[in-house]
Amino acid sequence: MLTVLGGARRLCDGVSRRDFLTIGGLSFGFGGLSLAGVLRAQDAAPRDPSRSSQHKGLINIFLAGGPPHQDMWDIKTDAPSEIRGEFRAIPTNVSGIEICEVFPQLAARMDKAAIIRSIVGCKDRHESYQCLSGWIPTDLSNVGGRPSIGSAVAKLKGPVDPSVPPYVGLANNTQHRPWSDPGNAGFLGAAYAPFRPDGPGMENMTLQGITLDRLADRRRMLTSIDSMRRDIDVSGAMQGMDAFGQRALDVLTSSKLLDALDLSKEDPATVARYGDGKPYKYQYDGAPTCNDHLLIARRLIEAGARCVSLSYGRWDSHGQNFDLVRDHGSKLDQCLSALIDDLADRNMLDDVTVIVWGEFGRTPKINPQAGRDHWSQVNAAYMVGGGMKLGQVIGATNRLGEYAAQRPVEVQEVIATLYHNMGINITSDLLQDPTGRPQFLVDKPPVSELI
Amino acid sequence: MQYLHSTLSILLCGSLATNALCSDSETGPNPPAAIEPTSSLQFQTGLEPQQAVVLRGRDARWQLLVGKTQSNDRIKDVTREVAYTVEPANIASISPTGFITPLLPGIATISVVSDSGEQANHQLEVTPFDIDEPVNFPNQVAPVFTKLSCNGGGCHGKAAGQNGFRLSLLGFEPKEDYEFLVNESRGRRLFPALPEKSLLLTKATAQVPHGGGRRMEEDSYEYRLLRRWISQGMPYGNENDSRVTSISVHPQQRVMDRSATQQLMILAHYSDGRIEDVTRVAQYESNDAEMASVDVQGFVQTQDLAGDVTVMARYQGQVAVFRATLPLSPNRPLLPQPRNFIDSAVFAKLDQLGIATSPRCDDSTFIRRVTLDLAGRLPSLEETNEFLADTGDDKRDVVIDRLLESQDYAEFFASKWSQILRNRRNNEAFKYGSFAFHDWLRGQIYDNRSYADMVREIIAASGNLSVHPPVAWYRQVTDINQQVEDTSQLFLGQRIQCARCHHHPFERWSQKDYAQISAFFSLVSKKPGPSPDEPIVFSRLGKPSAPHPKLGGALLPAGLGGPELDIAETIDPRQRLVDWMVAPENPYFAPSLVNRYWKHFFGRGLVDPEDDMRVTNPASNPELLTALSQHFIDSGFDIRDLVRQMVTSETYQLASEANEVNLSDRRNHSRFYPKRLQAEVLLDSIDTLLGTHSAFEGMPAGSRGVALPDTSFASYFLTVFGRPEAATACECERASDANLAQSLHLLNSKEMQSKLSDVSGFATRFAMPQPSAEDASQIEEIYLRALSRRPTSGELQKVLEYLAANSDRRSGYEDVLWAVVNSKEFLFNH
Repeated sequence: MLTVLGGARRLCDGVSRRDFLTIGGLSFGFGGLSLAGVLRAQDAAPRDPSRSSQHKGLINIFLAGGPPHQDMWDIKTDAPSEIRGEFRAIPTNVSGIEICEVFPQLAARMDKAAIIRSIVGCKDRHESYQCLSGWIPTDLSNVGGRPSIGSAVAKLKGPVDPSVPPYVGLANNTQHRPWSDPGNAGFLGAAYAPFRPDGPGMENMTLQGITLDRLADRRRMLTSIDSMRRDIDVSGAMQGMDAFGQRALDVLTSSKLLDALDLSKEDPATVARYGDGKPYKYQYDGAPTCNDHLLIARRLIEAGARCVSLSYGRWDSHGQNFDLVRDHGSKLDQCLSALIDDLADRNMLDDVTVIVWGEFGRTPKINPQAGRDHWSQVNAAYMVGGGMKLGQVIGATNRLGEYAAQRPVEVQEVIATLYHNMGINITSDLLQDPTGRPQFLVDKPPVSELI
Repeated sequence: MQYLHSTLSILLCGSLATNALCSDSETGPNPPAAIEPTSSLQFQTGLEPQQAVVLRGRDARWQLLVGKTQSNDRIKDVTREVAYTVEPANIASISPTGFITPLLPGIATISVVSDSGEQANHQLEVTPFDIDEPVNFPNQVAPVFTKLSCNGGGCHGKAAGQNGFRLSLLGFEPKEDYEFLVNESRGRRLFPALPEKSLLLTKATAQVPHGGGRRMEEDSYEYRLLRRWISQGMPYGNENDSRVTSISVHPQQRVMDRSATQQLMILAHYSDGRIEDVTRVAQYESNDAEMASVDVQGFVQTQDLAGDVTVMARYQGQVAVFRATLPLSPNRPLLPQPRNFIDSAVFAKLDQLGIATSPRCDDSTFIRRVTLDLAGRLPSLEETNEFLADTGDDKRDVVIDRLLESQDYAEFFASKWSQILRNRRNNEAFKYGSFAFHDWLRGQIYDNRSYADMVREIIAASGNLSVHPPVAWYRQVTDINQQVEDTSQLFLGQRIQCARCHHHPFERWSQKDYAQISAFFSLVSKKPGPSPDEPIVFSRLGKPSAPHPKLGGALLPAGLGGPELDIAETIDPRQRLVDWMVAPENPYFAPSLVNRYWKHFFGRGLVDPEDDMRVTNPASNPELLTALSQHFIDSGFDIRDLVRQMVTSETYQLASEANEVNLSDRRNHSRFYPKRLQAEVLLDSIDTLLGTHSAFEGMPAGSRGVALPDTSFASYFLTVFGRPEAATACECERASDANLAQSLHLLNSKEMQSKLSDVSGFATRFAMPQPSAEDASQIEEIYLRALSRRPTSGELQKVLEYLAANSDRRSGYEDVLWAVVNSKEFLFNH
């Protein structure tokens, strides 16, 4: 029960919610909550206490800028030094699989992860759109564009808990806007856009200068004078408003979403395990690395979110590539390994998929600034959980890490795998675009090696 | 499309159908014909009355229809209730469902006899079997894949096919299907030496594992046809072979009882004049499964609901529609006196359905309804009081005329058009153009410019923004495909997006039709204007053309279903496109607009969604749509006159409260359907009621939400209540669904709370007089401002009690105003 009037809340290590995200996107994310969704969520079966989350979840960690595939998941030990770079490969707990030395903790958990080294079909565009939807922004743009996974899932499955939006975007706003795009509802419309914990939508969830008692009084007053017959409305909107009005009061009395965002409610030992959670900004126009985001994402899924997207760091390493990987990589090693342990401890690994990837790979040849440039020919992804077949590497690049030499995997195959893990059948779960055409979520099948 | 359809119906009735077929058709020009005196039982073959049913060869089949005229002159379908005999019996067999299968060549007589002993006869001829005509792939084989759903979008019909085998979507490209089947995969799918071992047949019958399961039985008609086609060596057929030019459904229209049945018969008409029964190969779809269902054999079963329902039949890209009317009660309902042609059409339908209207709405409801719908705002306290006090008989018409001439009307509808014309800002440099375009639209509407002229100025827009603001449309709609699709959807009610990549599955539009429309836009160019974001639009000199999407080669421009046009190089081809659109005989232009406006005022399009007009999405009242369109054309596309016709009609002025019979009526306008106030109107109305203002960046203080020139003004309220971003040409972008974010915003937002407690707002003002003697009159003022009516004594009592129980008068008034804002009566136009 909230009794304080809109208190400030701790997010991402001491930064108040208001400062944390400054530009108010107008998204609200509750649109997935249709009237049917409310009723369905209300009727949901009681939870199995031994498992903290029973629904399928997705945490999409976007490494904005294009992380160097050959300096993380695909060390080219046989390549000449101007290509190989500074990093050694280290063995993992799965024999035969080696990854970069910057990730010792992930190496010790390789049996819980899968790496795809041969993703093809990436566009050389600095934006999260493809990693969040499988499409590029111009596709179907005149009916509003393609929805991202979270929006599609919100539409197809509705909310798990009526007071928690099914799709939450944690991405910080960045100077380069497409890196902080938390995902787009596309032709599904604003109602299915991700909820962003900022702006009026967030404010409205804490009492705005009015007590709960007075809200209840107002509702009672409303009930006593609001006499119009609901059944004369053929659109169903009147009944919907009544249901949501009641639900809004519930949201204000339950603090589920706010609690999920508030790390002071978490065991300090767990918080510590994720590493220093401050949003460290490494380079000028990109997202900071904020380890707390991964923990918040886990808490949101537990609270009932289906999909959480976040943007971690700025990996566009045209210069000083290796310093960047050492900085970002070691932080990622810390929080990602913590997330794996945390999900495993909570028995959530089979239900929650985590994917870590960026928009493309980087040039094999190191440039004079010790950097690597854009390389959309091949990309890699690191995946955890989701009931997949783990402890394996899929595909391979050639000796110099230039292209997919074995098992090229289309971006849409990866996205299809994510949909599959969310319990969605991509051959039969279709969306209708505004012109009434049925649209497939993606055109490619899931990665058969993983499912 | 409705136009075409009506015309088609009439033609069919005139040329083909028997008397019985047309006797209950509303659309047919023929008066109800006399029933054959000898028997009330009759065959409905879809042919001339004495014309024999001819079955050509062993593949032919024929669905019989037998009707019985009842005492009320209605025809009841008894196809499955009569006994059939064939004489001689070895010529053909007839199933109890009236389905004829030929056995031997020859001539026979079919007789039916009903339970009560009535009889009827018809001639049957089965042509010789000795020459087995080669199976024709496009006419016979491809439709099988459609009927069995092999080539649907979820299966082999999708672009990538299914598990390596693809077919063209719904069989629209039989040439490609032939290639896929016969030649692809090294010909492994068909095996003429041993046809039944062909993969096509073993898969379809699930003898070998098939992801799609068993699609046909081994003794089925389809199986035998495919097997024979394979054994003949897979003939494709001749380029000159006849093809299906249209299909007709029989009967076209029926008044049916609830929980009754009707067999349909579908005839395919070929280019060589041949007519064949395709009842069992056609596909069926009911537009309202709660009212009537239809099975694969075209057998319609009505349920327990009254109303009207349509069943679509599709075959080979052709569509025909059966309309059934299911009266609520056999008694004629009490209907008001029609005021104009709209009422005549609406009431005729209600009369048929046996649904009585709600009474006329009261004056309070009317002044609020019509002001919201025409001016996008609540009536002022003065307007309401003046109207309620007026005793003149024509006071409603006077108000309508006043509002139609007002700036508010122009602003409201300029905003509506602005949004579907995608008037938005990509960046701040777009502002000049977006403001200018909005202002231009406002001027057009205020001056009541002819709709045809207004559309011409938009589609053929040339020059720069300051001289000709509609070029802003081309600035936003940059791609030629978007120009084609927006034009079709906005001004013709045709969603032809599908036809960009494949034949439209529910319409007759092919990729060629799409390309020919795009040819009109093929010369549109832009050059830099005063700034990079303010380009100059022009049409290059040259011959317009578009490449054929499949065959290559240049196509001449042509309107949808219109003639190919050879346009001189010096003429802007877009002018010719508009000429075709605004011609009085154009079947799409006028219906599209009248339907769009109907939806605005009546809450539901005659065709709904309002910009998706096609044969497979028929109008709830085609006669009304036709009459409105004709009126609109005859008036010279006068929108203000059209609106006046709509809002002065008795239909528009009906109450929204339901009576015991019309509660379930969802599309016949027997009462007014409430509509939630759209986002901008709701925000303005809240401000009006609370005495506050919303601020919009860059707009003068006091600007109304509905008067905003474009959709790029940041407002959480407007977004959360469904204001569109103007990213598409679809009205559907505006959301009117309820959602939790809205409820939270009304219940607990800084914005609402600061409006309620605004020091210069009404809550503060009402709380000012300390003695509460003023309370009753202040409450009355609140009700008049919000709902254009006085509170009932019960309501007054409750509000007074609430105020009395609240120690703080100001917060008491805030709460009362909050409750009024949140009441359905306020949030809805009803």
